[in-house]
Amino acid sequence: MSEFFTQAVLIAAVASGIRLAVPLLLASLGETYGQRSGVLNLGVDGIMLLGAFGGYYTVLKTDNVWLGLAMGIGVGVILGLVSAVISVTLKAEQGISGIGIYLFGLGMSDLLFQKLVGTPLPVGSFPKLDIPGLSDIPILGEMLFRHSIIVYVAFGLVPISMYIINRTTFGMNIRAVGENPEAADSLGVSVVRIRYLTVTIGGMMAGIAGAALAIDLGIFQQNLTNAQGFIAIALVYFGAWRPAGVMAGSLLYGFVNSVVLQFKTLGIIPRSWSDIAAMAPAIITILALVLVARRFRQPAALTKPFTRGT
Amino acid sequence: MKKRHVTWLALVLALMMVLVACGDSTDGTTAGTDAPDETTAPDETTAPDETTAPDDTAPSTDTTAASAEPFRIAIVAPSASNDLAFTQSIVDAVNVIKSEMGNVEVAVTDGTFIVEDAAAAIRGYASEGYDLVIAHGSQYGGSLQEIAPDFPDVSFAWGTAADTFGLDNVYSYEAASDEGGYVMGVMAAALSETGTIGIVGPIEVGDAKLYVDGFEAGAKAQDPGANVNINYTGSFSDVALASEAAQAHAAAGADVMSGTAQMVVGAVGVADEVGALWFGTQANQTSLAPSIVVASQVYHWEVILREIIANLNSGTMGGEIYTINLANGGEVIEFNPGYSLPDEVRQLADAAIAGIIDGSVSTGQ
Amino acid sequence: MLEMRGITKRFPGVLANHRVDFTVNAGEVHTLLGENGAGKSTLMKILYGLYQADEGEIFLSGERVEIHSPTDAIAHNIGMIHQHFMLVETLTVAENVALGLPSNRGLRTDLDAVSERIEELAGRYGLAIDPGAVVWQLAVGQRQRVEIIKALYRDAQLLILDEPTAVLTPQEVDQLFVTLRQMTDDGRGLIFISHKLHEVLALSDRITVLRQGTITGQVPVEGATRESLALMMVGRQVKLAPDKPPVEIGEVALEIRGLSVMGDRGDKAVRGLNLEVHAGEILGIAGVSGNGQREMAQAIAGLRQATAGSIRIGGVETTNHTPADVRKNGLAYVTEGRLRDGAIADFSVSENILLIDHTDKRYLKRGLLDFKAIKEHSLRLVDEYAVKTPTIDTPAKNLSGGNIQKMILAREMSGTPTVLVASQPTRGVDIGAAEYIHKRLVQQRAENTAIMMISEDLDEVFALSDRIAVIYEGQIIGIVDRQTATREQIGLMMAGVRPE
Repeated sequence: MSEFFTQAVLIAAVASGIRLAVPLLLASLGETYGQRSGVLNLGVDGIMLLGAFGGYYTVLKTDNVWLGLAMGIGVGVILGLVSAVISVTLKAEQGISGIGIYLFGLGMSDLLFQKLVGTPLPVGSFPKLDIPGLSDIPILGEMLFRHSIIVYVAFGLVPISMYIINRTTFGMNIRAVGENPEAADSLGVSVVRIRYLTVTIGGMMAGIAGAALAIDLGIFQQNLTNAQGFIAIALVYFGAWRPAGVMAGSLLYGFVNSVVLQFKTLGIIPRSWSDIAAMAPAIITILALVLVARRFRQPAALTKPFTRGT
Repeated sequence: MKKRHVTWLALVLALMMVLVACGDSTDGTTAGTDAPDETTAPDETTAPDETTAPDDTAPSTDTTAASAEPFRIAIVAPSASNDLAFTQSIVDAVNVIKSEMGNVEVAVTDGTFIVEDAAAAIRGYASEGYDLVIAHGSQYGGSLQEIAPDFPDVSFAWGTAADTFGLDNVYSYEAASDEGGYVMGVMAAALSETGTIGIVGPIEVGDAKLYVDGFEAGAKAQDPGANVNINYTGSFSDVALASEAAQAHAAAGADVMSGTAQMVVGAVGVADEVGALWFGTQANQTSLAPSIVVASQVYHWEVILREIIANLNSGTMGGEIYTINLANGGEVIEFNPGYSLPDEVRQLADAAIAGIIDGSVSTGQ
Repeated sequence: MLEMRGITKRFPGVLANHRVDFTVNAGEVHTLLGENGAGKSTLMKILYGLYQADEGEIFLSGERVEIHSPTDAIAHNIGMIHQHFMLVETLTVAENVALGLPSNRGLRTDLDAVSERIEELAGRYGLAIDPGAVVWQLAVGQRQRVEIIKALYRDAQLLILDEPTAVLTPQEVDQLFVTLRQMTDDGRGLIFISHKLHEVLALSDRITVLRQGTITGQVPVEGATRESLALMMVGRQVKLAPDKPPVEIGEVALEIRGLSVMGDRGDKAVRGLNLEVHAGEILGIAGVSGNGQREMAQAIAGLRQATAGSIRIGGVETTNHTPADVRKNGLAYVTEGRLRDGAIADFSVSENILLIDHTDKRYLKRGLLDFKAIKEHSLRLVDEYAVKTPTIDTPAKNLSGGNIQKMILAREMSGTPTVLVASQPTRGVDIGAAEYIHKRLVQQRAENTAIMMISEDLDEVFALSDRIAVIYEGQIIGIVDRQTATREQIGLMMAGVRPE
């Protein structure tokens, strides 16, 4: 146990937890917009996978991580729009239609990978950015301020999302539409437009999350996300549909994972326990979900399609 | 309403975990097919003697004019044929057999990570009268156990596994990955300056466990004081987690690493980034990090396929368990020519290989 | 200022509005009166852009307008206060008001400016409200003020009020009327939708009556009476209050002591409630909805766990007994949600009638249902209770609300219960059926059943009750004899003011 409390290991554990949290944070922040407006998109993981492949493939071909990120955004926006058509316009059952998007993303990303790439080839990652000044703080600087740029982007989006949701008319419309679409509609707020926007934002963020994951790992593989998109959806509940809560959930998940990893590496968790320990993040997150989320009410119109005049 | 949603989501989440944990747990073996850059394996040229003349005792479907009827092999495998990994290893091996034998018809159903789909394909091939149906995935065992008795005239091969269910028309095959692991371990301990070695594994079962245990035994044999940190991430598919496991190894002081199963592709990149050396298995992983991959253990299933076909031709439909290893040439250590391995380390590796083959060295398994 | 001309709207199988002409002048209250399904709401939804008319034209200040959506309606200074409040409960008052309006700060909200304007409007119209309060914390009356402010904030010149008094106490109604009058004094036109006749008479300038989608009368308020309005609504003479022959009040049949019950959200819906109902009396329970009426009734019927206290029916302890056991002890229960828990929509009339008796020996033959006996029983009840249904095998959902309610009543009363709990027995029921149901309740009273009638309709409570108990926050705040009770007195109690 004492090995864990060495400086190097502690720093590594925190930095690792932050890195693991990033794709979840990006995806769940995006999903927060959709759910706040009343649309549950279970297809997040599929969008992440296609965003991941799109980003990876672009970097492989152009050697430019920013083009890769842009591709992730593009893929995400398109699939977000598709999700919106299905759940908002076609009013499909959201618990099922999202699974369709997921399966599409899972299959299509693998197919494209097999056809276009075949064997996993490494690609360049996002450049690291040591925040001037802050990164020189002993210990803390190494933990928090020596990451790749996408990490700062992801965490920077948290206050931005808080501002958008709580302080802008757009955010107010999102909250209203997710809570009582009839009321919003009766005041001339276009429920359809708001939901299209939020679901597309959600898709875009999932695309970014996938691209960030693949580019940061520098690799692609079948089912690269390994269901992180579903965890992201759970984290939206855990975070009680609030960006700060979602961030807390992502970090919790990341940290539990990284601590378990460090413990296993150092033999603090016996090898015979490692399979059980591997479930710890999921179990802790589910427990937290059940304990925390039930104190908050979910958006009242969540998963309910809107039809005027009923 | 709210409570129901939370419960429901938790269920979905839990289901996903189970799917992730179980679903992939068997296509975890990846096998390289790049031409060996440098090979220390024993001579492979011992061509099978019977294959050129398939005889009439073969399955009932080709009872007539045997030489005119092609030998028909079907493969059912979980991932894509060109995955340069687990599935491709068997497809390539069958293709080697085809080029050796000539008159062979090959059918492949790939991507059947859903066991039910695989079972349907296996049954389909069997009913079409294929001579040999290869169920390439240990998760297919249960299905095979049900299907094989219905087709006594068809021979089945199942891997990686070491169980024929007592059925006389089922062969099983596996890889003695501990042997290659041992050789890698010897080299790793010899090359490590910090004396700490990190291994990333998926779940402590099967091929992965054999490799990791062999690796540890080899490292300890070379340097009894070596610190071998082993991290089973708990997933065959979580690339991100495997990468962070490599980061954890680096933080713990490892300067040599290895890993097994498909999710280590990201970990190789991490090793490259932190300046650690890497040993690969199941595939030649040189292309993932050309400057730090020292060597990889690669599988050649054609070695045991030749034996199975020879058996079929002599009328034995199954019942045997085959293992590829260093001795029979089914396992080959491929060195990375781009990494200048010190001669004395190379000599240690060669000695270990020779020792394993002649039985003077035990991997502990 | 408004003229709707020849409005026709069809739904599959229903002609909801048929060539309806409707006008509103500036400064008047024009009431739209009619039974449920008469087409009032449809007409107003067309005016507000929620539905599109199949035929007809709308003119505002003489100009023809097309209203395709609420946005169009708002742009034409039309406001609507919906029967079910259109408020976002998780937003503040100011946010609810600002919703859908452009902010004068671009993308950012300008809630402080909105709040200022709200307070200004609130001051002018006597609608005291805290702009920063979150709506779910507000009482019903306050929520309605928010709705009115929303309309005023958008400078609605024409305001539609869909059953605005349904959830208010009499005092709140009076207060609302004062505000509404102030608005007409400003030159605004109001459309008032209601079925409470005395309110209609109190507020309106003109009254238009709809029946089955067509106008059956348009009269000034002067000279109109409740009876004349009811005649136009129903198409025949209606007795609004049943004759109640005196009945000997008997023993205590239902006794409730210190009853506490949890609500759906884990809150204490009923807290230590005491009540007695005697054989042969109708005890009316008045109160604003959501004060524990539903939970109390369910606890009596054994459908909801009592956390404390006791319930005795005919002297027998039935607290937390199973519903079947409670029924066996003589309870009949007419629930407030007809097709939710009072009847099974897809079951036939006959099956619905059998629901509570399905284990009764009379309808069983060697353990199986005796369909002949059931049929006879059903036919007799359908006939006796004047349930209008094509056959007894017609699914309940195809019946009108009034006939479903009569069917339920027939089922519940067929066993001559000791105690009858009737929750909102005539809510949403047409006047003719309500008249009949009231008559049956009075008959049942004559047969010595103790009847507890829970109603949010004060007219009904006053028309039927022998005594009136007022429920407030899960307790009986006071019980008054019908002979001496006044609406003001009951209204004060409904608002939580205890009698001295």
